[in-house]
Amino acid sequence: MKYMNWKSAALPAVLLLSAGCSRQVERTQEVVAIAAAQLPSDPADGAWAGAPEHAAKMIPQDLVEPRLLTPTTAEVRVRAVTNGSEIAFRLEWDDPDLSDTPGPSKMSDACAVQIPEKIEKDLPDPQMGKVGKLVQVTYWRADWQASVNGRGDTIRDLYPNATVDHYPFEAKLLEKGSEAEKEMAKRYAPARALGNIRSGPRSVPVEDLIATGPGTLSPGPSLGAKGKGVHAKQGWSVVISRKMPEGLGPNQRTTAAFAVWQGGQRESGSRKMRTGWIPLLRKGQ
Amino acid sequence: MARVFNWQLGREMSYWYPESRPKRQFAAVFDTNKCIACQTCTLACKTTWTSGKGQEYMLWNNVETKPYGSYPLAYDLKLLDMLNGQQWNGSKYDGQTIFESAPAGERVLGWRPEQQDYAYPNVGEDDCAGQVDTGAFMSLPHMNWFFYLARICNHCTYPACLASCSRGSIYKRPEDGIVLVDQNRCRGYQECVRGCPYKKVFFNPMTGTSEKCIACFPKMEQGIQPQCFVNCIGKIRLSGYLSRPGEARADNPLDYLVHIKKIALPLFPQFGLEPNVYYIPPIHAPVSFNRQLFGPGAGAAMKAYRNAPNDMDLAGLLCLFGSTEMVVSRFQRAGETITGSDEKGAALVRVPMREPVHVRPAIDAKNQLVRINCP
Repeated sequence: MKYMNWKSAALPAVLLLSAGCSRQVERTQEVVAIAAAQLPSDPADGAWAGAPEHAAKMIPQDLVEPRLLTPTTAEVRVRAVTNGSEIAFRLEWDDPDLSDTPGPSKMSDACAVQIPEKIEKDLPDPQMGKVGKLVQVTYWRADWQASVNGRGDTIRDLYPNATVDHYPFEAKLLEKGSEAEKEMAKRYAPARALGNIRSGPRSVPVEDLIATGPGTLSPGPSLGAKGKGVHAKQGWSVVISRKMPEGLGPNQRTTAAFAVWQGGQRESGSRKMRTGWIPLLRKGQ
Repeated sequence: MARVFNWQLGREMSYWYPESRPKRQFAAVFDTNKCIACQTCTLACKTTWTSGKGQEYMLWNNVETKPYGSYPLAYDLKLLDMLNGQQWNGSKYDGQTIFESAPAGERVLGWRPEQQDYAYPNVGEDDCAGQVDTGAFMSLPHMNWFFYLARICNHCTYPACLASCSRGSIYKRPEDGIVLVDQNRCRGYQECVRGCPYKKVFFNPMTGTSEKCIACFPKMEQGIQPQCFVNCIGKIRLSGYLSRPGEARADNPLDYLVHIKKIALPLFPQFGLEPNVYYIPPIHAPVSFNRQLFGPGAGAAMKAYRNAPNDMDLAGLLCLFGSTEMVVSRFQRAGETITGSDEKGAALVRVPMREPVHVRPAIDAKNQLVRINCP
């Protein structure tokens, strides 16, 4: 895919959100990362007000099975701020239905930012890259956010009325909190025992991933991903930050793509709403 | 989709991946006529593998009362309904499998159980819906009979869980055909839960990954049968390895029961997965019901089982069920003794087909005593 029309894309447009709305939002045809001394980590940080907003139209992932055939999230509103070494995105989308509890048939709200590993004209496929054209994905999940926000790591934290007779690792002969107890608990949590980063309590609600095509998503080298999501009546506002894409200097461009999953719509994995490649401009000195 | 051969359907069918049969296939035969639903198998599995956080609701092994029992709720009826009635033509399946009837955008025809569907693990237990003296309260399709159906993962030749996973996190081991979820690669999309028609993959909310029966592979690798087999009180189970179609060996217990005597049949073969747990159908259930569950061979299998007293090899082999902890690779009958051996032919167990009978007269003439026989 070729870059979009750079000249027109660089022109900011000032739009009224809707009739009767008094707030004016500067909207751009590309994602423009403004420079700031400090990277905002909270979606409500005042620094976001200075960043123009790009409203990215979303399309269903309908290229590989299983596909999403019914469109859900219409657009994701993206702002970006950089401190020179890191870049933060704020993604906002409408989804009044909070889905942050994992369970059978329960999916989590989530979003992701995808950026090519290298800045080059011949772009990877916007859908998870392709062989030889790696993409870096920074992925945020609502259930991880709940964990970071303090939700406990027991079944009763997910199902308050659950009754559990006994876990082997809670046997009286094992000292509570001891290494022996933790070791035994791991035996009954194979994904944790194997170190699957998808599993277990979280210290951050995001993860660094890489992909070279659909179905290849894997843990990637650390890009120092951080994030924070806040759900309100209208939907989600999520900050995702990561290291500055390699080679992206001031006033240079790369591309980014975004994806959103609505757990309430049973979206998970390849059942998602996504954007195509969108130019990403790093503004500043 | 690739074209693969499914011997249980008697035809080629479409599957997500090309045919790639393992060197040998883990398989099992369950004799439904001997199951008493004591759930010892269920607990043996539960205490061994699924006692962790997030596994509370998981039953990699369960025993349900048919016709009304199911776990999760109506797992079988829902899919049969979605398939909307399909036909066999003799031993050839003319209908569509869940792969062939996959809707646009899907890999298989499937559905996701809701949380509530897991809330009744033994619904319908012992429910035969018939009252002999006063008449039935209501009229139901299946009156006055029931049987127990023990279920584990079928370690299918064409697993729908494996086909459903968009990440390739599920694999079938080439050495023994056991189907496993790679716990390091799984990202908990639950596509496998949706795809498996037997609903034998379970999502663990605490680890965020899906988990399933592993056929106790650490035991099988040592020639020892899985936990649910060796703990079976009713001795209804026999595990081993099934040869590839056309390579059946008469001295292999699994081959003999499945391919040669055709007395053990797959569960819902019409789904198209070529499942590898085989059932000797219940001989007191209507043949029409057995055909729906076990395919067109149900009538002949019931007849063969009834004839077992006149079929010494078959009767002898049935005596081997539950007779040893070890995997029996070969069997041989000599008179009324049946011998189970390992792969190298070394005897593992010898079982008499008739237990010696001792009759104690009610009057002990020598001691001039009357014996009391406790029941």
